[in-house]
Amino acid sequence: MVNLEELKKEASQILKEGKVKYIIGFQRGSNGLLPVPAFIKNPKDVEKLVWDPTCVYNLTLFLQDEKRKKTKEKEPDERPVGIVVKGCDSRAINVLLQEEFIKRDDVYVLGVSCENTGVLDEKKLAKKLKGKKAKKVEFGANDDFVITTEDGNIKIAAQEVLAERCLECKAHFPVIYDVLIGEKTKRNVENPFKSLEKIESLPPEERWKFWKEQIEKCIRCYACRSVCPMCYCDECVADTINFVVTPDTSAEEKAQKIKWLEKSPVSSENFVYHFVRAIHLAGRCIDCGECERVCPLDIPVRFLNKKLEKEAKELFDYDVGFDPDKPSLVSSFKDDDPEDFIR
Amino acid sequence: MEKVLSKKAFPQWVKKLESYTMYLPRKDGDFWNYEVIKNPEIIDLDYLNTVLSPKKIIFPQREVLLEFSTSNEEELKINEVLPEEAQSVIFGVRPCDAKALTLTDKVFGGDFKDPYYWKRRNSTALVGLACNTPPSPNCFCLSVDGSPHSKEGLDILITDLGDKYHAESFTKKGDDLLNLAKALFKNPTAKEKKDLEKIQAESKKKIQRQIKDTKKIPPKLKDMFDSPFWDEESLSCIRCGICTYLCPTCHCFDINDEVTSSSPIKGERVRTWDNCQFPDFTMHSSGHNPRPDKAARLRQRILHKFQYFVELYKNYQCTGCGRCISKCPVGIDIIEVLEKARDYGS
Repeated sequence: MVNLEELKKEASQILKEGKVKYIIGFQRGSNGLLPVPAFIKNPKDVEKLVWDPTCVYNLTLFLQDEKRKKTKEKEPDERPVGIVVKGCDSRAINVLLQEEFIKRDDVYVLGVSCENTGVLDEKKLAKKLKGKKAKKVEFGANDDFVITTEDGNIKIAAQEVLAERCLECKAHFPVIYDVLIGEKTKRNVENPFKSLEKIESLPPEERWKFWKEQIEKCIRCYACRSVCPMCYCDECVADTINFVVTPDTSAEEKAQKIKWLEKSPVSSENFVYHFVRAIHLAGRCIDCGECERVCPLDIPVRFLNKKLEKEAKELFDYDVGFDPDKPSLVSSFKDDDPEDFIR
Repeated sequence: MEKVLSKKAFPQWVKKLESYTMYLPRKDGDFWNYEVIKNPEIIDLDYLNTVLSPKKIIFPQREVLLEFSTSNEEELKINEVLPEEAQSVIFGVRPCDAKALTLTDKVFGGDFKDPYYWKRRNSTALVGLACNTPPSPNCFCLSVDGSPHSKEGLDILITDLGDKYHAESFTKKGDDLLNLAKALFKNPTAKEKKDLEKIQAESKKKIQRQIKDTKKIPPKLKDMFDSPFWDEESLSCIRCGICTYLCPTCHCFDINDEVTSSSPIKGERVRTWDNCQFPDFTMHSSGHNPRPDKAARLRQRILHKFQYFVELYKNYQCTGCGRCISKCPVGIDIIEVLEKARDYGS
């Protein structure tokens, strides 16, 4: 079992020793079931830390802010940032290391195990509780969750309320860490791409219809991009100003930049946005599922990324985020790489 | 005009309004959204609040302002495209969303009366649905001068009385809608009027969230522009546009030319929603960005709603619908931010 006290003790110690400048973790919010990100500097505040199945966020996202802040400082504090990560989040750290977005010394990884289960899908739980309000969700002893509601506790098998990505997770414990809290559990996932089966079985025209309907709902709030730890580009083709302008950028340079897509939320432009994002995440997406969770219109964005994860696995036997020392998929090749799909 | 309509007769009323374009909340998976309805039989007014407010109908996310093209003689032709004046009815508008339209009215109805906005606004009737129970756990209309059965901005307000609806019309547009199906409506009895009062009083008690002392916030914010408060509060913000795009009162837009053919030149000038939370919103062509980080952008969202708008229009630019709270990917809670600001440094 993950011992929360152990996590707090460790966090407090590294803060007291000055080993880290601050810790990014989870704390209870003012409202709702889900926690909010915590940025803790004072060892006293480690009491706020929580770790339970509602801790859905991938906090490695905030390493982008840290990096941006650091580049602006004249004499930056070079100490690492402490960060609480689950299995999937830890794979994000590995990808960021592979891509040299961060250095190993930039982070002090406080790994927490998902206890052979994973994190909660709030919508699944709401359906299960039929209007009853959950106040607290904790890991149970038998691969279940203990839900505290207004009228007492209920136990629900984790499988029934787990986030989709957790059902297909290959390692529900951190694969990179400085401290590991909890156990390295092992669960056999028969088919890590099971969720894709239904949509893959559809004939192309029906698949097209499905995606067209979904993508047309998009209002381009870019929450999927904003929440993604891999979407760290300073310039993105989706923005109207899709390149970094500095006082030195000449008018010619500005004029030469191509406008890849319009701001209008119509299907052609929405498709460009979502496809560009999906392609750029091939071999990089660690399937934290955050893009899909945050979508206000419930567009199943995760399927796009999952499909490319599957392609990477089947064509190149590439597993994302398991080895920070391995070259990344898109920046390496082997002589015997398959190429029969190139036409 | 005050009337009562049996629930069974509701679809018949809607049928009588066939000459109007009708919008109603429809369930799409796990959420509700406004759609044009063709078949009144499937109407269901038992709904939670929609993801996007009816603002999207009056002030659509994409709107063509004009078309341009060059003819063979290379003469530039410009053609203004005003929206069609289709008589429309939006059913089931929550009082907070109706009030929000009275706020966008102020913005688009100042010295310059925006013709695109007003064409739709004037030809649309709003039939509200009182919130006997709050449609969201994050509703806080009472804290921002609203109420779960406010008539502000509405033509008709419908209140669920169990097996019937109480319908009160406040405008000529509303009266017209009721008069189209006169036979279906009855005058309310004394008991029904009493029931209505009871339901309205109870509905207020059911709202779970509130801002205490909202009045103290605008004057307090005035002195907080340079406060480190915004850095602290924005730490977890991820810079997405959910809070603003889902907001029923946010009204910022961008205008772009979308060229569909370069030879001969053909295209449209298009207005789209814009979002103060995006980095390019305030980006100057020099590369200078006066709101360079997320702290400045969160501050803008709060100050616009609770200081600038109050100074300009004597209203909070927030109607307490709770969408920004419910949908924020990282749980930023405008109620909490406002209360912390109110108490900051004291």
